[in-house]
Amino acid sequence: MTQTTPASKAMQPGGTGEQMILLEGVQKWFDDFQALRGIDLAVGRREVVVVLGPSGSGKSTLIRCINRLEKHDGGRIVVDGIELSDDLRNISEIRRELGMVFQQFNLFPHRTVLDNVTLAPRQVRRRPRAEARKAAMEMLERVRIPEQAHKYPGQLSGGQQQRAAIARALAMEPKIMLFDEPTSALDPEMIKEVLETMEELAESGMTMIVVSHEMGFARAVADRMVFMADGEIVEVGTPDHFFENPQEERTKQFLSQIL
Amino acid sequence: MTSIRVDTLEPLPGREEPPRRHVPPGRWLRENLFSTWYNSVLTVLFAALLGLLLYRVGRFVFVDGRWEIIERNLRLLLVFRFPDDALWRLWTAMYVLAGTFGLAAGAAATVRRAEVAAGRARPIGGRFLPLRRVAPVVVLAAVLLWLAGSVGATLLVAGAAAVAVLGRLAGTLLPRRYAKWTAVLALVGLAAAFGIVIGLGGVSPRTWGGLLLTIYLAIGGIAISFPLGVLLALGRRSSLPAVRVVCVTYIEIIRGVPLITVLFVGYLIIGFTLPPGTPTPSVVTRAMIGIILFTAAYVAEIVRGGLQSVPRGQYEAAQALGLSPVKTTWLIVLPQALRAVIPAMVGQFISLFKDTSLVFIIGLTELLGVADLITKQREFTAQGLIFETLLFVSLLYWVGSYSMSRESQRLERRLGVGER
Ligand SMILES: Nc1ncnc2c1ncn2[C@@H]1O[C@H](COP(=O)(O)OP(=O)(O)OP(=O)(O)O)[C@@H](O)[C@H]1O
Ligand SMILES: [Mg+2]
Repeated sequence: MTQTTPASKAMQPGGTGEQMILLEGVQKWFDDFQALRGIDLAVGRREVVVVLGPSGSGKSTLIRCINRLEKHDGGRIVVDGIELSDDLRNISEIRRELGMVFQQFNLFPHRTVLDNVTLAPRQVRRRPRAEARKAAMEMLERVRIPEQAHKYPGQLSGGQQQRAAIARALAMEPKIMLFDEPTSALDPEMIKEVLETMEELAESGMTMIVVSHEMGFARAVADRMVFMADGEIVEVGTPDHFFENPQEERTKQFLSQIL
Repeated sequence: MTSIRVDTLEPLPGREEPPRRHVPPGRWLRENLFSTWYNSVLTVLFAALLGLLLYRVGRFVFVDGRWEIIERNLRLLLVFRFPDDALWRLWTAMYVLAGTFGLAAGAAATVRRAEVAAGRARPIGGRFLPLRRVAPVVVLAAVLLWLAGSVGATLLVAGAAAVAVLGRLAGTLLPRRYAKWTAVLALVGLAAAFGIVIGLGGVSPRTWGGLLLTIYLAIGGIAISFPLGVLLALGRRSSLPAVRVVCVTYIEIIRGVPLITVLFVGYLIIGFTLPPGTPTPSVVTRAMIGIILFTAAYVAEIVRGGLQSVPRGQYEAAQALGLSPVKTTWLIVLPQALRAVIPAMVGQFISLFKDTSLVFIIGLTELLGVADLITKQREFTAQGLIFETLLFVSLLYWVGSYSMSRESQRLERRLGVGER
């Protein structure tokens, strides 16, 4: 790598180098407020990208645009070769590729954990009941809460709920996982169990975009880190680059606050 | 019962009973009723008033009241001019209802026990719950049978009660797999009962009156206005402006007029709005339509409140999983929204139940109509028996309303299990 501008680093997909997500000049407006001001980012297969930045910088908006919870107003978003357009078929095809984990878990409180996990495979992928249950139990074992399968979300601890939410997303066999601050609603002792689950997921080769300020996690699993401010990508680099030698003044300032 | 800590899966130390203070009655009285001089005055005053009231009512019910007006007209009050030779249909319907509802209750109880055993639900209620649930109905049945003074009727009712109890026992033996169909079973029982009364040379509702008509209007009204109201509420949030405008207009117009107007207007114009050649529906059907149209608007607003209470995150999670908007609504949003509005919804249905009395305006003789009628009978006119009649009718309304209210509280607690 010879160039060092953030844009060029952002457009070099990591991982296997095969491009899974491509964002080109993505813009998003909320009325007359511009939340994303031309985002360029390429994410490679098996790559883990951690996004950080101050509150209101557009991190959530960015990953919500990728699975069309928000509609972008300019630029291009391509997921695994499919360009996101207004075509409803396109949108649902892209959503099949993407799993999403929310800060507030958003489990369905009126259904048991197992039902939460089997719901989408059965309703969207039309898996038979027994098969969906078997797969769901495997997912719950993977996130280490098989014994909670028959409880309701409200009966679980925060950490268990978030792991159930991860299992729910994984049950759809997505190629890419999006995480929006998955641990910031959790008590410290529960953060660890969720991060461990995510680390295992990363090791298994899942492509991931993670909005998080958990620096230990970033250092351990991130291939690249992206620092955003005011709707722009300010700096992109490896964790080493960020922790040893950040270039931009705003990055330094932000890191000094959270480290 | 041992509890499990959800985060570490260790059994909790056996939960201790909350400390129960034993207060001698004398002290309890002193602390609660006679703590200050003005408390004492109030206590004495209200005790006196209450005693007087109880005495007067008791004396009226058991000594002064001339209940022969009810005894003589019990049949009219309950089923109005239902033909003698078709009465067996009503009895059969009663047995069908007793059986199916008993089965449904039994199966529901088994499911419930299993949930509790699996630690997914907290036990609710307390001792003698089934008994307490049916108590008002039992009291009512006892009063009716006492008034009827008929051995045959008593035996028939006892038989129905036995069928209900047996049904409940059978329900508990049903395999869990079938248990979820019991709600459907209860509905089928209701439909079957209706079919038995009207089908195959039966008695058309257009001739019904008394309590029978009241119940018919209430159940029919609830059963149809509920889904209609849900559709209106969903329509009000539709992304299609035309649908939205139609729903909002409908809801706001209906909510702006009294039920009595809706009934009357319905009575007058339903005949005209149908395509020529279709027979005009009976007055009872028109009353039913009026009640449904009216209630649906209120149900819609109640459901709308429920829909608004479902957090955005629920929609987003469903969307992110790839669920279609229809499935998101049906599987994720509506169940949560409806659960949140059970109390308001049941309140609306209790109103509907009592408001059926307004159909007198279009010439129908439901329970209250019969009550009015019998006080004007030649042998009872000008004897001031209106109070006996009203008290009796109130008892019927009260048992109905109170049962609905109780069942709604049960349902609420049952569905509330596992909520955040
Ligand atoms: N639905 C919306 N309507 C209007 N403005 C919005 C909306 N969603 C986000 N914004 C604005 O867009 C900007 C970026 O929001 P976003 O949620 O993406 O920030 P964030 O980086 O995720 O912040 P945080 O760390 O607090 O989660 C903020 O200024 C926010 O006020
Ligand atoms: Mg955010």
